[in-house]
Amino acid sequence: MKQLFYIFISFILLYACTPDGKDLQAPEILSAGEQTCPLNCQEFTPGGLIEFAYLFRDNVELGNFNIEIHSNSDHHTHGTEAGECEHEHEEEHTGTPVNPWVFNRDYPIPSGQTQYKAQVRIPIPEEVDEGEYHFMIRVTDAAGWQSIRSVAIYLSSSSHSL
Amino acid sequence: MIKALLAVLMLYGAQDSSLVLGPAEIYGESHRQELMHTTLGSIEVGRNYLENNFSGTLIQSLSAIPGIQARNIGSGQSHASIRGLWGHRMVIAVDGIKHEGQQWGEEHGLEIDPLGIDRVELIKGPSSLLFGSDAVGGVLSLFTNYLPTRSFQGRAQLNFRSNNLSTGVSAHLEGRKEHFFWRMHLGGTLYADYRVPTDSIEYYSYRIPLHKRTLRNTAGREENASLMLGYVGEQLRNDFKVSVNDSKCGFFANAHGLEVRLSKINYDASRQDIDLPWQQVTHLTLHNHTHYHADRVLLEGDVAWQMNHREEHSEPVPHGYMPLPPDELERSFHKHCLTGKFGVTIPLSGQNRLQGGIDIEWQHNRRGGWGFILPDFETLSAGIYLLDRHCFSDELYIHAGLRYDPTWTAIHAYTDWFPTPGDEGKSIYKQRAVESKRHFDPFSWSVGVVWGPERWVLKGNLGKSFRVPSPKEMGADGVNYALFRYERGTADLLPEESYQMDLSVNWLGESLQVSLDPYLNYFPNYIYLNPSPAFEEGLQLYRYTQASVLRTGAELTIMYKILQRLELELKGEYLLARQMDGAKKGYSLPFTPPWGGNAGLTYRFSEEGYVRLDFRFAGAQNDIVPPEKATEGWYTLNFYAGKAFQSGRTTLKLGLRAENLLNRRYYDHTSYYRMIGVPEPGINLSLLLGIHF
Repeated sequence: MKQLFYIFISFILLYACTPDGKDLQAPEILSAGEQTCPLNCQEFTPGGLIEFAYLFRDNVELGNFNIEIHSNSDHHTHGTEAGECEHEHEEEHTGTPVNPWVFNRDYPIPSGQTQYKAQVRIPIPEEVDEGEYHFMIRVTDAAGWQSIRSVAIYLSSSSHSL
Repeated sequence: MIKALLAVLMLYGAQDSSLVLGPAEIYGESHRQELMHTTLGSIEVGRNYLENNFSGTLIQSLSAIPGIQARNIGSGQSHASIRGLWGHRMVIAVDGIKHEGQQWGEEHGLEIDPLGIDRVELIKGPSSLLFGSDAVGGVLSLFTNYLPTRSFQGRAQLNFRSNNLSTGVSAHLEGRKEHFFWRMHLGGTLYADYRVPTDSIEYYSYRIPLHKRTLRNTAGREENASLMLGYVGEQLRNDFKVSVNDSKCGFFANAHGLEVRLSKINYDASRQDIDLPWQQVTHLTLHNHTHYHADRVLLEGDVAWQMNHREEHSEPVPHGYMPLPPDELERSFHKHCLTGKFGVTIPLSGQNRLQGGIDIEWQHNRRGGWGFILPDFETLSAGIYLLDRHCFSDELYIHAGLRYDPTWTAIHAYTDWFPTPGDEGKSIYKQRAVESKRHFDPFSWSVGVVWGPERWVLKGNLGKSFRVPSPKEMGADGVNYALFRYERGTADLLPEESYQMDLSVNWLGESLQVSLDPYLNYFPNYIYLNPSPAFEEGLQLYRYTQASVLRTGAELTIMYKILQRLELELKGEYLLARQMDGAKKGYSLPFTPPWGGNAGLTYRFSEEGYVRLDFRFAGAQNDIVPPEKATEGWYTLNFYAGKAFQSGRTTLKLGLRAENLLNRRYYDHTSYYRMIGVPEPGINLSLLLGIHF
């Protein structure tokens, strides 16, 4: 009985009091300064280009990142940033999607990185529905923590930006 | 020997004899008998305890017992966790039959009427020997089969809760005429969105304002009905029971799983309505139990059929390559479970009691809806067991047993209903689950000793339990829309095995009673859903893997009778879990409860009246694993009072509870809504009115 007790105690001491190298922090999605793109409520043109640029940072090691773009013609909101943006011609671009743009791609981050400036050129197809889209940025670290950032973008052929 | 047989008989024929008077228990000879009954740490509570501690759901009502935790899904649904193990890692049995719903779901509650239960027995520790697969963490055994003693008797109850404006009604009628008896139970609860002590919720740096501090769309309702018809003779008892449980409840509207979402539904229009997303479950049980006592041999047989139908509805939203779904039915599950049990108890010599039997269970599960997570499957298992109890004296016995559970699982294929663009511009309908058949041959065993000299009851148990991998763990391959992540099963998982050593030290003094239940638990191949750094279809990939896990912990209960009418009760629990290898080596397991407990002071102002002040607390949980959040420690102050008024055969019961009196804002680490940053309910006053006749 006494021995069993010592086993319990030593196990508890061993694991409760030993500092270990566990990663308990999720990675961060940060602005890439002037180049940061897309910004919330930014407008783009079908047939144009999104020059994605964000900075990822982790305390131990970054994992992968993913970019997913889907139509928000029904105005559902995921929002970390994505919210209501005001655009011209909004009324005519709200409703049932006909040919919504769906983009979904994973990107590796070279191993061993704690900081990584992600830059991706994403061509926008010509024949896609105009209107509001959600641009989702997801990044993981090697331990399996994930951070999400959602940015609202707007596609319009009459866009005067870019 | 005779004593042991009597104990078995008492289990079936007894009235509510447990001496559980108020929120606190009074120990005595019966408590000693309960402790001596099993070699594992065990706790029994009766109907009185459940009524006095009624906190909305059955599991919440039991959560003050050290070693059992309620994992809440809002205010009206919760499921149980024994020492941090839940879902398929523990068994909930109703009158000896394993309750079968969709236990794998983190947001699925329990389909059992909390007010229709006569007695609860909690067995902490490996119990596969009695219940086969899943009984790794322990068993919460519920009994609804007490015999009526009079030709007509009954009880009715009315309860109100302020926090979620819940109103509950239940009526129980029963009677016995010579050898025949009947029991009928009806109950219903209606509740509104619950109130939290905060104006807004922060999730992924997104601020969700709350209307009037209520959690949008967490209202719900539940109805229960059951009827039991029985015969009880000198040697034979047979009871047949039909019961149905139906519930519907909403999910918090602004965040479902890991995703924040807003919709055009005006959730703030009413606190009472249930909008999308919501879940609805109907559970039907037919159960026949036969008990025949022939001379010295005891024969028992059970036949049961359970039907569980679950639907989860949400607003159709296109995701990734999935177009706009045609309707709101995100997932549905329709399960049938047939159980047959046969057992024999034979006293061999003067000291030996041999028990053997066979348990057969067949499960059939079908899915529906546009969200795929669990493939269709059938499972057949046949458990054969042999147990022996050898009594050296009235104070000392050993108990040993062996069980073999051959199990066959057939998983069906599933293919997406929408195409996904593949390589070279070709679209394919992705196959999510592959047809497969698995066979398992798990053995379980247990050896235990109970020694009860004078005021001590000392128990020790060493046992192996197992769990057959669930079809979800083997066959999942798709987006879990409820939790917004991609889950992938592993087809060749081995049955999860668990070895556990339990000790139980109990001192039953005149004015002081102490119970300490430590345990050490080792899983060579715990089935763990590992969040990986990879992505799949835009969502983080979670994969089922197997890792060795070591867990240890203890529960402590101290009861001290300061004065004749004044009692102090201290309860505490601690659990430490470590993954010893694999991708998350060094990490804990998800939903591991922090250390915690409660301290209560009860004053009995009369035979049937008490007031109690209760301080409930939990430490911080920083021992986390992705995607969990560290949770700060918390405490709540609670006040309870109750009084019974007797007039002839009629008893009027009045109960008052005030939970979280200080309206503290805190997070429960094991609650479903914890991960989206939703605090627990604020101040809650409840009133209970009961009449027994």
